Amino acid sequence: MLLPSFAGEENESVARSDDEIRGAMTLPLDVTDLSTTLFTRRGEMKAVDRLSLAVDAGETVALVGESGCGKSLSALSIMRLLPDPPARIVGGSVALNGRDLVALPEEAMLAIRGKEIGMIFQDPMSSLNPVATVEKQIAEVLMAHGELGRGQARARAHELLELVGMPDAARRLDAYPHQLSGGMCQRVMIAMAIACSPSVLIADEPTTALDVTVQAQVLALLKRLQADAGMAMIFITHDLGVVAETADRVVVMYAGRKVEEASVDALFETPLHPYTVGLIGATPVPGAARAERLADIPGMVPPLNALPQGCAFAPRCTRVMERCRHERPALTRPAPDRLVACFAVGQG
Amino acid sequence: MALPRASTFQLSRFEFPARFARNRGALVGAVLIFLVALTAVLAPLLFPTDPLRIVGAPELWPGEDPDFPLGTDSLGRDILAMIVHGARATLLIGLCASAVATLIGVTIGAIAGYFGGWVDEIAMRAAELFQTIPNLIFVLTIVVILGSTLGNIVIAIGIVSWTSIARMTRAEFLALRDREFVQACRAMGMGDGGIILGEILPNALPPVIVLSSLVVAGAILFESAVSFLGLGDPNVASWGRLVGDGRQLIRSSWYICAIPGVAIMVTVLCLNLIGDGLNDALNPKLRDR
Repeated sequence: MLLPSFAGEENESVARSDDEIRGAMTLPLDVTDLSTTLFTRRGEMKAVDRLSLAVDAGETVALVGESGCGKSLSALSIMRLLPDPPARIVGGSVALNGRDLVALPEEAMLAIRGKEIGMIFQDPMSSLNPVATVEKQIAEVLMAHGELGRGQARARAHELLELVGMPDAARRLDAYPHQLSGGMCQRVMIAMAIACSPSVLIADEPTTALDVTVQAQVLALLKRLQADAGMAMIFITHDLGVVAETADRVVVMYAGRKVEEASVDALFETPLHPYTVGLIGATPVPGAARAERLADIPGMVPPLNALPQGCAFAPRCTRVMERCRHERPALTRPAPDRLVACFAVGQG
Repeated sequence: MALPRASTFQLSRFEFPARFARNRGALVGAVLIFLVALTAVLAPLLFPTDPLRIVGAPELWPGEDPDFPLGTDSLGRDILAMIVHGARATLLIGLCASAVATLIGVTIGAIAGYFGGWVDEIAMRAAELFQTIPNLIFVLTIVVILGSTLGNIVIAIGIVSWTSIARMTRAEFLALRDREFVQACRAMGMGDGGIILGEILPNALPPVIVLSSLVVAGAILFESAVSFLGLGDPNVASWGRLVGDGRQLIRSSWYICAIPGVAIMVTVLCLNLIGDGLNDALNPKLRDR
């Protein structure tokens, strides 16, 4: 596997050395300084603030954070599916196989969505059209991209259902979503997302709505499909257990910004940002003493229109310093393959 | 709640006849409308000659002559033959006008609801404009300007009846356009047209179907009113025209007006009962009542 690359840092010298590592090679997905703002009556809110994210073929990058930290909006920004109004991309670029999606007209995006970049949603039951059969829904994707005619589409839909491990696939083709379980619905969603073999797959909390046992199956399925096709995958979740299982690299987001990025092993071994430390601390560990109360992070994600002047995490941070309240920490590189935005890091 | 609604609609597909039949009134209405439709279809077989031909003595009361069970009108035409043939014209006008209204209403409502913003504003202000004009006068104006032909009457009734269907369709689209499966379809690269027709419309149809069945009843009343006032198609013997033709003799031979009047009333009542039954069968919010 290729070296994970970190692109578009606020620190220019870091960015330059990155380019040298990367050379002229094109990544499946390379997001640079992506900024999305919500224009509301109560003012402008920076929902995604200069997010940079690079995903290599066959690599899984997990996007982690609490609810409301901008994970899903980042994904929708990449897909150019933002609800406009109020949300709009205000800066940065999304390079998909070398082509900047931010600048593309909507007609061009139609041909790209579902074909070059696929997406899986959180609630599989409500992500399928309740009045259409499984076959029709899969066939629609294939036909929307002119891949196949109606006759071949059924055969291909059957093939895809078998690929995603749908039990009794031939019979399920004519089933309606309400006749399927949540896990089966998610398999159908996955089949639709990979129908045109996209090079990038965004999974937005694909297992959150599922039973734990089904979760494991779906995760295994996603990993298998990814390995077979060499897809780049962005995996959005707030479940660190799922992160440990699936991701190669982790990007931790807080209040619309990337606060830490590291390989999955490094992140769990030595989390640097106090927020990451808090997240990992808040995950229950099996076998730990019962008497021990589960740690939590006090407070809540601040509302985007009332972000503190300095570091957005400062009001909740255990290692907060005077400086944090006035100045926003930029991303720094404490080790070759990791990034963190915190003044306390490196000060012992 | 979004989810139960989605799944219950599917169930109602299989349970639809049973659910519909549970409403007794709707069942009676459906049976009667079926009979009316049957006589309309079989009219040329039941009464092969022109119903507007003079066949007997004028103003025979019902039962007076066994050849004319419902009597004859002021010119000596068989009222039963005219009622049977009139059913054709009346039902045809009702269905076609409702189809026109549904086509206009669903198109405008879908576009307004899906795209929102200024498109929605314009469409809804236009709908309000149509709603503020008194319907019957509007229909009469259009018919007078365009001429009294069957096609023009159908179009005129369609033009005044689309607003309620447009509003209903818009409301359904507003509720459905932000649902996750629509978002998912966008993420699959489907265009607006495909999403509107293939994804949202099938989900939005049940309440629209109910409303369309009620528009049929309204259209029949409109046509009757137009024909009663003598502005109907002169070549078509609709029920409204029979009532209109008989109105000079209402003191002496009131049956000439009353018989087609009852036919109109029964048909409209049955269509409304069917509408109620469809509403019960298709609307999951009411299904367990």
